[in-house]
Amino acid sequence: MNAISSQEKNPKTAAFSPEEEKILDSWTKAYPHPIMGLLEAMRQVQTWHLCVRPEDEEYLADLFKTTRAHVHQIATFFPLFTQKKTGRKRIGLCHGLSCAMAGADKIAELLEKKLRVKEFETTPDGEFSWEEMECLGACEHAPALIVNEELKGKATENLINEIAA
Amino acid sequence: MTKILTKHFDEPNLHELETYRKFGGYEGLKKALGLKPGEVTAEVKKSNLRGLGGAGFSTGMKWETVPPKDKLPGPRYVVANADESEPGCFKDRVLITKSPHSILEGILIAAYAIGAEDGFIFIRGEYAVQYEILKKAIAEAEKAGLIGKNILESGFSCRISLMRGAGAYICGLDTALLETMEGKKAWPRQPPPFPTVRGLMNQPTVVNNVETLAMLPHILKDGGEAFAKVGVAKTGGTGVFSISGDVENPGIYEFPMGTPLRKMIEAAGGMKGGRALKCVIPGGASTPPLTASEIDVPMDFESLRGLGTFLGAGGVMVLDETRSMLETAHNIERFLAHESCGQCTPCREGSEWTTRILERLMSGQGVQEDFPNLQRVGENITGKVICALGDTVGMVVRGFMKKFPDDFSVKIPVKNGGQ
Repeated sequence: MNAISSQEKNPKTAAFSPEEEKILDSWTKAYPHPIMGLLEAMRQVQTWHLCVRPEDEEYLADLFKTTRAHVHQIATFFPLFTQKKTGRKRIGLCHGLSCAMAGADKIAELLEKKLRVKEFETTPDGEFSWEEMECLGACEHAPALIVNEELKGKATENLINEIAA
Repeated sequence: MTKILTKHFDEPNLHELETYRKFGGYEGLKKALGLKPGEVTAEVKKSNLRGLGGAGFSTGMKWETVPPKDKLPGPRYVVANADESEPGCFKDRVLITKSPHSILEGILIAAYAIGAEDGFIFIRGEYAVQYEILKKAIAEAEKAGLIGKNILESGFSCRISLMRGAGAYICGLDTALLETMEGKKAWPRQPPPFPTVRGLMNQPTVVNNVETLAMLPHILKDGGEAFAKVGVAKTGGTGVFSISGDVENPGIYEFPMGTPLRKMIEAAGGMKGGRALKCVIPGGASTPPLTASEIDVPMDFESLRGLGTFLGAGGVMVLDETRSMLETAHNIERFLAHESCGQCTPCREGSEWTTRILERLMSGQGVQEDFPNLQRVGENITGKVICALGDTVGMVVRGFMKKFPDDFSVKIPVKNGGQ
């Protein structure tokens, strides 16, 4: 398999366990064309490593039979993927119009105060990071936020304290 | 009040196949499979169904542009666009949550009509709950022989797969969505050829919004004419509107096409705290605004176009007298600047500059030239870029300046040429 040969070339890039490799490989077979699985595979990597590292990009490039440049393009275009490690709990605060009208700015201040890190920074224990995100599609529950994959509405100081506890 | 899609949304288990079938689910598909593919398209054309994802193109006419197989051989695809990311729109999220099978049934009907054997649902990555709901619904339908080989013994076969986006608004645009599905960055393509001729993997592909697809079972079951009768002359049926902002009860509401905006605001409980209405954004953040005196407009594609705005994806945002239109325009332009994909220079640079100028005006440090510059930058984007995102960058700011000039007459410091 291509992916293994890349590890032989550079032993430092042993990026994934055999089980993880199996999961990533399954995305090459999920759709009519292998390359259609690239975003899903990268999403998986982001969940495991909390970022997409250069060695991950190299591995994915081999796995999907494409160039490292192509994979890097995907990793840097889409906001879901990060080069820097996010917190294990990644908090996204919506600041679309309806949420801004419902006081999203205040929630951002609360997050910064409570977590004691600025936007896009991660707490020293690696537990939390926060960022403003574009519309989360939950305008009727404004202000909305998302913790990893869990959407939460009507954000208040209590909710922030609960999340950051 | 005529309801089509949301009629049974109070049923707690509508998302399950059994309950969905109890209310006539998959009857539309059965009916479609008894017709010839061309007859299905004809029925949809009769219904005057138009795309409910933003563009408002006739669904039946879109399907007709798929070339016949002898002219362009190879597979055809149907893609359900569930990449709802427009500020103010959340109807797709609710539709998927409540009635995932109506979307699957719609995909199957569309696939049968255009001769596709592969259907996809492209859903935004943040809708994790909805992704799981769809996954479960697909498994249920597969088990019941409604998805897969030889569906309902008709000889027609179709698979449905799920794909997730990764946080980019631009993926909601059909050609950017197709690029993303192909594992590329979401840069819109310059049509022609349109996706119905050269779409996914260069094969004919119909991309329809999930709400549009969910209407199909009803059109097949009750006939296109009945559907057309519900709406207005050029737009059949109902629309599901997302209403948010300064109203008492934000949420989704289904209305016949052409329902006056005033009635919609009333249905959402009226103005929050009894405050006065100032502005309504009728179709989602990227559609130019309406003033309080314009809310008797019938909500359909043509009527709104007459007022210089669009029905978009029906994301009605209501703003009261306390809101600054300068700040509102800034919030939307900032969003568009962030989501500009960077392919076309006018949009990439113009959205950023527009945002910066608005910021400067908000901070009280504006210069006299800011106003003509906002106009000029806007004029230099709209119509000069590949996709609709760029067009709206220029339209939104000019729309707000035109309809709410008072909010833009901010003080310019004397040192910057002010009086």
